[in-house]
Amino acid sequence: MTMTMTMTDTATLERPAMASLELTHALTQTLYREARMLDDENYKAWTDMLAEDLHYHMPGIETRYRRDKTDQVTDLTRMAYYNDSKPEILKRLSRLDTGTAWSEDPATRYTHIITNVEVEHTEKADEFRVYSNFYAYRNRNERDEDSLIGNRIDIWRQTDSGFQLVKRRAILKHNVMLSKNLNIYI
Amino acid sequence: MRIERIGREPDFSRYMDLKEGWLDRRIFSDADIYEEELYRIFARSWLFVAHESQLPNAGDFLTTHMGEDAVIVARQADGSIRVMLNSCPHRGNKVCFADAGNTRRFVCNYHGWAFDTAGDLKGMHEEYCYDAGDIDFKNHGLKNVAKVGSYKGLVFATFNGDAPSLEAWLGDFRWYLDMILDNEEGGTEFIGGCIKSVISANWKFGVENFIGDAYHAGWTHDSGARSMNNGQPFPPIDMENSYHASVNGHGWEFGTEGVGDLFLLGRPKVMDYYNKIRPKMAERLGEMRSKIFGSVASASIFPNVSFLPGISTFRQWQPKGPMQFELKTWVIVNKAMPDDIKDEVTKGVMQTFGPGGTFEMDDGENWENCTTVNRGVVTRHERLHYRCGIGRQIEHDTLPGIVYRGQYNDANQRGFYQRWLDMMTHDDFGKMPARPEPRLGNVAETRDLPGLFAL
Repeated sequence: MTMTMTMTDTATLERPAMASLELTHALTQTLYREARMLDDENYKAWTDMLAEDLHYHMPGIETRYRRDKTDQVTDLTRMAYYNDSKPEILKRLSRLDTGTAWSEDPATRYTHIITNVEVEHTEKADEFRVYSNFYAYRNRNERDEDSLIGNRIDIWRQTDSGFQLVKRRAILKHNVMLSKNLNIYI
Repeated sequence: MRIERIGREPDFSRYMDLKEGWLDRRIFSDADIYEEELYRIFARSWLFVAHESQLPNAGDFLTTHMGEDAVIVARQADGSIRVMLNSCPHRGNKVCFADAGNTRRFVCNYHGWAFDTAGDLKGMHEEYCYDAGDIDFKNHGLKNVAKVGSYKGLVFATFNGDAPSLEAWLGDFRWYLDMILDNEEGGTEFIGGCIKSVISANWKFGVENFIGDAYHAGWTHDSGARSMNNGQPFPPIDMENSYHASVNGHGWEFGTEGVGDLFLLGRPKVMDYYNKIRPKMAERLGEMRSKIFGSVASASIFPNVSFLPGISTFRQWQPKGPMQFELKTWVIVNKAMPDDIKDEVTKGVMQTFGPGGTFEMDDGENWENCTTVNRGVVTRHERLHYRCGIGRQIEHDTLPGIVYRGQYNDANQRGFYQRWLDMMTHDDFGKMPARPEPRLGNVAETRDLPGLFAL
């Protein structure tokens, strides 16, 4: 049996180049801080955590048979909720500065819960692969409510000003996204 | 079709007066009206089911819905496309559980009844349990729809054996459709994947928004327009040289400046690409259509498909009860485009009209509130205003359809609800008036019309 949307080519128990407790702690704290910035809609602080060469990807996932070899995860030519560079994320976010993003006022209430953090070394000494799971909860207006749950795989780079996000692939587990929009970053 | 729904020609005329320009709010939430829509509109119309590019090879299939009926769309060995109920004739279970793929057989998980891609029953688990005379394989396939047709890449199907031909159903609207389907040699294709979301609103709000509501765009989407273009506002609307055109409930609202929707996409390379092919487009489709394509525009095909020519989002509003629809979206591109331009279009569409797009995010909330608030027992008896531009109908030498001047208008919305009323009222398609009388007649190819619709 194979899954049709695994995060890595070979999901195994082997853990290559296990990171130290200190490094793991530092990156876990970075993920938590990032989540807090997103909960607070502090997008200035959040985008400061993004590397200039960022690639931020959230593919659209269809329901497919196991035998189907269509690459729904890493094929970047397919439709995706996000398939963005940093300038493209900034472009999307600039909507919030216009004063006319009507559906953002009253504001959405966000909570990002980040769990299952694993940190690995990569071929590059200053870059680290970080796995995590997310539970993003939104509540807005009178009783709008939804939950977005899935896995993430990131590359974080150590810089003089702290860790910066270089790559993120977030896999939302929805087939039909059970919400009217995605006014959220994961 | 259930017999009790036919032969009584219910009177829905009290729900609207389109000459006066008002609608009754109950059509957006009433459960009985919704049931009637499923029978009288969705079970009788030609419905979009696929783009041919989604099914390039024999055995390719996708699953979708016609109204609320689950169907499989499958490419056959002979190249034709079949559309059949995704429901086993034994106990009714699904026989296909994936959104798309390639297969030789659709097999029910319950008792192993197996069907080929045409829907013919080929065998089942422990076949010996059926004695001679118990089952006729020939009559126990997956029920195929009455008709399947395609128009320049778009595949449609209907449950209605009495439906007119697809060409007649689309009629003069083909003149407009060709601007998105045939503006360059090679036609169109869908980008891989399909992004779906759920909006708790009546399906008609999505359709009417795209069929004619340019009016909302500059207000609702001010933030979207500015975010895509470094703070620049929505392009100005020229009320003299922009139009609504309605053909049997289909509708296209548009300017003639050629660049507005391309600007809103926010991808300069895509703008450059279309500007480069525009002279050829003019040779292909005539001067007028080459000036319409790319302008601020939006369109819907009756009853539930919409798209933005120039922005290239293509979408279907699938009804899921009176107060919810599923929005299925695709990206439509020209096959002839180089890969980097297809990539630019895809990213642009997802950044504007994906669920996280700067335009899309402001739409759903409006439609949800329109739906839930209209349901109030007192509120539902108040009329809604659909009278904008009611006196601006014109005759136009070039433009087919019922044409109104000025793209800020409710004309196409009125045209859509007129067709809705025609279908809800009449059992017999032959008794439904053509709105308007067709100009294209038996013309098979609108490209072959030099002069007839020349500017």
